[in-house]
Amino acid sequence: MSYYEQAMPPVRDQRLKMGDSFAGSACELLECAKSGCMLQRNRFFWQTGACQMALTLMMAATVERSAIVMHGPIGCGTQLHALCVQGNKGKTKRGKLPVSPVWLSTNLQESDVIGGGENKLRLTIEYIDREFRPEIIFVVTTCAPNIIGDDVEEITRRVQEFSAAHVVSLHCPGFKSRVVASAYDAFYHGLLRHLPLEPEPWRDFVPRLSGPQGDLGQIQYEYIKSRTVNLWNATSIGPGDEEELTRLLDALGLKVRVFAEYSSADEFRFVSQAALNISMCNVHDDYMLSFLKEKFGTPYIIAGMPIGFSDTRRWLRSVAAHFDLEDEAERLADYEEAKAREAIAPFLQKIQGKRVLLCGGVVRVGTEAIFLKELGMDVLTFRAYHYDNGAEEIYERVAGEFPDTRIAVSNQLFEFCNQINKLKPDLVISHNGTQGTLAKLGVPSVQLFDVDRSFFGYGGVFALLQRIVFAFKNTRYQKRLSAHVKFPYRESWYGKDAFYYIKD
Amino acid sequence: MTFVERPRSACALAGALSAISALPGVIPIVHTSMGCGGNLSGMNSFGAGYWGAGYCGGGSIPTSAITETEIVFGGNERLREEIESTLELIDGQLYVVVTGCMTEMIGDDTRGVTNDFTDDGKPVIALSTPSFKGDSYSGYEILLNGIFNGYLQKTEKKNPKLINVFGIIPAYDPFFRGDLEEIARLIRGLGLEANTFFTPDQTFENVKSAPSAALNIVFSRVWGTAFAGEFEKRHGTPYWVTDLPVGPEATDAFLTELAERAKVPKRRVKAVIDRENEIYYGYFERTADVFCDSDFKYYAVTVTNSNYAIPLARYAQNELGWVVLDAFVTDLLHDHQKDTLLSAFGESGIDEAGLLFETDTSAIARSITRRRPENRGERYFDAYSPLFILGSSLEKVTAQKRGAAQLSVSFPAFNRMIVDRGYAGYRGGLHLFEDIVGSLVFPKG
Repeated sequence: MSYYEQAMPPVRDQRLKMGDSFAGSACELLECAKSGCMLQRNRFFWQTGACQMALTLMMAATVERSAIVMHGPIGCGTQLHALCVQGNKGKTKRGKLPVSPVWLSTNLQESDVIGGGENKLRLTIEYIDREFRPEIIFVVTTCAPNIIGDDVEEITRRVQEFSAAHVVSLHCPGFKSRVVASAYDAFYHGLLRHLPLEPEPWRDFVPRLSGPQGDLGQIQYEYIKSRTVNLWNATSIGPGDEEELTRLLDALGLKVRVFAEYSSADEFRFVSQAALNISMCNVHDDYMLSFLKEKFGTPYIIAGMPIGFSDTRRWLRSVAAHFDLEDEAERLADYEEAKAREAIAPFLQKIQGKRVLLCGGVVRVGTEAIFLKELGMDVLTFRAYHYDNGAEEIYERVAGEFPDTRIAVSNQLFEFCNQINKLKPDLVISHNGTQGTLAKLGVPSVQLFDVDRSFFGYGGVFALLQRIVFAFKNTRYQKRLSAHVKFPYRESWYGKDAFYYIKD
Repeated sequence: MTFVERPRSACALAGALSAISALPGVIPIVHTSMGCGGNLSGMNSFGAGYWGAGYCGGGSIPTSAITETEIVFGGNERLREEIESTLELIDGQLYVVVTGCMTEMIGDDTRGVTNDFTDDGKPVIALSTPSFKGDSYSGYEILLNGIFNGYLQKTEKKNPKLINVFGIIPAYDPFFRGDLEEIARLIRGLGLEANTFFTPDQTFENVKSAPSAALNIVFSRVWGTAFAGEFEKRHGTPYWVTDLPVGPEATDAFLTELAERAKVPKRRVKAVIDRENEIYYGYFERTADVFCDSDFKYYAVTVTNSNYAIPLARYAQNELGWVVLDAFVTDLLHDHQKDTLLSAFGESGIDEAGLLFETDTSAIARSITRRRPENRGERYFDAYSPLFILGSSLEKVTAQKRGAAQLSVSFPAFNRMIVDRGYAGYRGGLHLFEDIVGSLVFPKG
């Protein structure tokens, strides 16, 4: 039975070769991943991170006219308060109404943990449906109901019979994996199983009559579809990046629709009406895109992240190749690159030779490191939050560009602090959530991604360099702060190797 | 308990972690899966005016990060390994293992593991904080009990001047630091000493000195009172349950009663009160021009936890001369807790308002509309207008729909930054005035 037919999505630990604990050269990393030794690696010491539920919620909270039922104890989903604030900002920037999804917790008590929470879940879904009339009800199951064995699929199926909303179950038992990337699959699994992904007659179109006029309409529609592409976004990808890539694909004569974040049920019905699905991140969308290929025959492209000149060109060219537009893509890239290179010229001498460390998502750090090296920055090392075979193509290039650099797969702050302490970089480009720590360490930093700013394509190159130069302009804040902050690690920790606690 | 809309509290683990992050020298070790500590810290660190993660909070929190293997085979050994590594790596004076749902459900012997460390003289304790047993407020109580009534040794030596302050809950009382600082200032003003525990001026020595205190004040009608009772049994320190004084009227009364309980001479407390009022009104007097000329008299609805409900309503009525309509209490209370709060509310001298227990944001909005209807096109309609909602940032939308003014004074507070601001005491009274009227003059510029 394929994963798509199962009630529960697989976690990536089952589906892919992956890991979260590694230090060594890129070559060793590739080898360790391929042989499967990566999966076995662990640590003697761990600091908290997130779980797949956290990232699934990030995605779900952006969907328009939806509501969320958290099936679990009251603590699960508490970050939705913040996610709704963030989601409203994203909606506003995309011209949508900033209305937060209502969310409820089934608030499982000790008696429910013993006696089962199914009835409570049913009542909660029925209440949210009756009271708020959402278009989509996401039912997010957490660790506890998974351990006690609540049959959430059966409950959602039963409620669905009486509800006008689409009841979409999202299975997120956090204990199944330390790696949060399974969240993307969990979200997509719910979408692909419970949401209509094809246009509905009389709602989305008027059925065509037979005869010449109908045929002409069909031909016109097929032509438009043959030039329509779906661009798959992610929580780390902001409207600026979506606009930049849409602009470039528009220039190639393609019609672009963006999924899945910030979409509505009405928009999801058009997912199947495209000639090509395009991912913007190797470790984000393969689960959904291969489903769409299987179900609707839509081919897909996963061609890295369009960060920096060569990767943007590569990305653009792979999309164009599908439409026999390589020549146009090359010329477009030439034109855009010339303009952008001219624009960034004044920045280059200010960043060249600066010692930089990168930290965050596996695809971003690898891609960005290659690009910054190309621009003349001294890349000391970088840390990927996790690794899975989706990133293999990029790390093969990384191995070529940085054959002797000791890189790491780590999302652990204590290791990060140790590294910064030893390497003393001039600048750190890092995942959101670490900037405060970096400032306390006295190091200027730039966000690795930030939905308020641009990173992709040509506009992204300029914007990133602008921010790097800006980061160097006044570093007194970091200096003063770091002089007064005490970190929790004992002095002896800084004498040890940063990856001392990794178990082989 | 039934389902809850947009809960304004998380789990017991969250409450414990939030309090630990403000407690100097105390290091948490979360025994559960990878995500709990990080997810909850996100809310704890940002939901209360962005007060941040702290010394060993957020992504620095040690965790056993159990996975399916431990769910099947048990997590004791992983926990033991994590504690050993934490002791080696992290500098702290007390290490507190707090549990999540998973390890409680699989029945790990957490205390058995920590006992082995205690036997070796290591300062490690274990507390049971699963979500299905209680919310953030009870997490605060569990933590207090664990440290003050469990870990700390009894002492014969009492300091007649020392007072411990409890009941003000980190993050879930978003102004806890400013409030504690002002309370400490007032206590010290009477020549006494104060332990606030959760403010940056404190150290672990304050925690250790707690058993020698002569009095515990609990600024909560419901949270921490049972703890204070246990404290009295264990350490012999009596306790006083009262409301947080906000503004001069309430603070005068607080100081007067405190002086009686702590045997401070009447003359001394009168001098303090006179001096404080002189300063307060020195500032407050000048605000009357804009306050009155702009007609800043409002009907008020408050939406807060049980700790702030009475203090805020009392301030709005007695200091601002506003008419308080409804005071919504949003924490999830048992019936006996509700009764306690209701009787305190009845004695607080608030004229018109009703105390209502409701936590669901949309139910609160509905209740306001039902109880205080808006004009639906009638020519003569005595509406409750203008209306000011003192609530959380969840009430922003409610206020917008209603055309009411709003200020976020309760959890969650996402649309403001809170650093050392507090609303307690004399200074807090001025701050609250500044924030309320500040929100009203903001559109003028």
